[in-house]
Amino acid sequence: MVARHLETELELPQPVAPQTWLSNLMQSVREALRGAPVLSLLFLAMALICAIFAPWIAPYGPVETHPADILAAPNLFSKHLLGADNQGRDILSRLIYGAQTSVKVGVLSVLLAASVGTAIGLLSGVFRGWTDRILMRITDMFLALPYLMVALTAVSLLGASIGNVILVIGLLRWMGFARVLRGEVLKLVEMDFVRLATVAGSSRYRIMLRHVLPNITNTLLVLITLEIGLAVIVEASLSFLGLGVPRPLPSWGSMLRDSQQYIYIAWWFPLIPGMAITLLVMSANLTGDWLRDRLDPTRRQL
Amino acid sequence: MGRYISKRLFESVITLWLITLAVFFILRLGGGNPVEYMLPPEATQADIDKLTQAYGFDKPLFQQYLIFNAKLLRGDLGNALAWDKRPTLEVVWERVPATFQLACAAMSFAMVVGVGIGAVSASKPDSWFDRIGRTVAVVGQSMPVFWVGLLLILLFSVYLEWLPSAGGIDRLGWQGILMPALSLGFFLVASHMRIVRSTMLEVLESDYIKMVRAKGLPARLVIWKHAFKNASIPVFTLFFVNFAALISGAVVTETIFAWPGIGRLLVDSLILRDYPTTQTVICFAAGFIVFINILVDVMYAWLDPRIRVA
Repeated sequence: MVARHLETELELPQPVAPQTWLSNLMQSVREALRGAPVLSLLFLAMALICAIFAPWIAPYGPVETHPADILAAPNLFSKHLLGADNQGRDILSRLIYGAQTSVKVGVLSVLLAASVGTAIGLLSGVFRGWTDRILMRITDMFLALPYLMVALTAVSLLGASIGNVILVIGLLRWMGFARVLRGEVLKLVEMDFVRLATVAGSSRYRIMLRHVLPNITNTLLVLITLEIGLAVIVEASLSFLGLGVPRPLPSWGSMLRDSQQYIYIAWWFPLIPGMAITLLVMSANLTGDWLRDRLDPTRRQL
Repeated sequence: MGRYISKRLFESVITLWLITLAVFFILRLGGGNPVEYMLPPEATQADIDKLTQAYGFDKPLFQQYLIFNAKLLRGDLGNALAWDKRPTLEVVWERVPATFQLACAAMSFAMVVGVGIGAVSASKPDSWFDRIGRTVAVVGQSMPVFWVGLLLILLFSVYLEWLPSAGGIDRLGWQGILMPALSLGFFLVASHMRIVRSTMLEVLESDYIKMVRAKGLPARLVIWKHAFKNASIPVFTLFFVNFAALISGAVVTETIFAWPGIGRLLVDSLILRDYPTTQTVICFAAGFIVFINILVDVMYAWLDPRIRVA
């Protein structure tokens, strides 16, 4: 008691002031990341960094061959940390360049799918009636297509290139967005603020873009994150079947394709790229689950 | 009920027709003359013209589509270019039993293992069993089907030397189906486990379960006799919902294990540029998915009368 009294009387300079904004920042960061899957976020960040800065990070070029090291085993103290493939290319370098393909296809194809799906969901939910009926029939049709078969066929007809892979995956995976968002929109348009906007004379397009769209962005964000994993798997499947990203561009799927023939003599070769795919997909899924719990508690799963 | 079924049937016919429309246009995505994709690069202009005329690709697109529809109604999907030039429907039909066997084996594996683990997990939430199960489910849902296949080959063929890595059921007997079915069923195990666990937990919270517990029934009976029955309904929906995913998974699984099903037929036909067969495989698979969807809807309407009205 006495000590504190003395301190106040001495009027010591308060060192708290410069710290407050920092601790507030820390506080808000901690709040934003509450319950976040830290490892998944770190892995996603790592994949993104690998994808953007591949030429600076990778020890070798993606198609650079080292004939002396064909099928070299992973070794911490050798030239090839994760071993070399059947043509003597460094697996670590190809893995880092492969992240480019996965991230690019994952993000861009899902963004395309999300835009198509959102447009259809919004139009269906706001206009209803015949628009809704026709659009939902088309959605049903796309849902009944065996998407990997169609994707394979479309890519092989259009020609294998990263752009075509993105286009095909994007145009075959929008139905989830359309269905879920339509449901949300149907609920929203019944709410008072939308009715008031109608009474105030807003056109249906204005209602769609100014009143409904901002209210479905949370769901949209969650769906996008959850779909990225699937898009990555579809790209890897296409490349694995030899009809995705053209060689010699490195893709984790085509690395697995190459490894298939050497499975009896090089166990690490099929193991490593598969691990990368699984980790990326898992990180995206766990991040999506977390976002869903944070932003959209009604959809929470146990 | 009859009215509901006929309404669903009518909708499905429209969906099917839309599918043939989509497939028709997807196969013309390459632009130009599809025959050029079907023939080897060294084909002469005369060959190209001959085949173009034989397939009617010289006619306008709209007319081609009408001819395609007219043939479709007669059950004629054209002749294959590879596969001894036989009718495509015949070629596809031969491959169906293999895919069906594989799908059934994968489904039964997923049902037994997934539902079992899910139910045990839910009966003791947060136990070590539940934690391991949940982790396996999260990892399992993220593993691509073809990598699971490669891992199984690595384990059973390379390391343990128990099973051969390729071959159909004719050559290897029941052992041949083990690895393909495990790899195809693996991601379904994960999704079955999750859905069973979450519905079981919901059901276990309900009043009637509290009532049964209060009555003094042993925990084992509460879980398996009362909770499990009600929790298994969503599993059946999932079972059918997953059929589309199963067909996609079959394409890769069949390719890895050289399994002679329709998935492998599709990949081989694409490599051989056999474009009529590709068309038939996709239409067939899509038709099958539509058929399964009708089955699910009718089953549901029968189980839950509220759906018929909506």
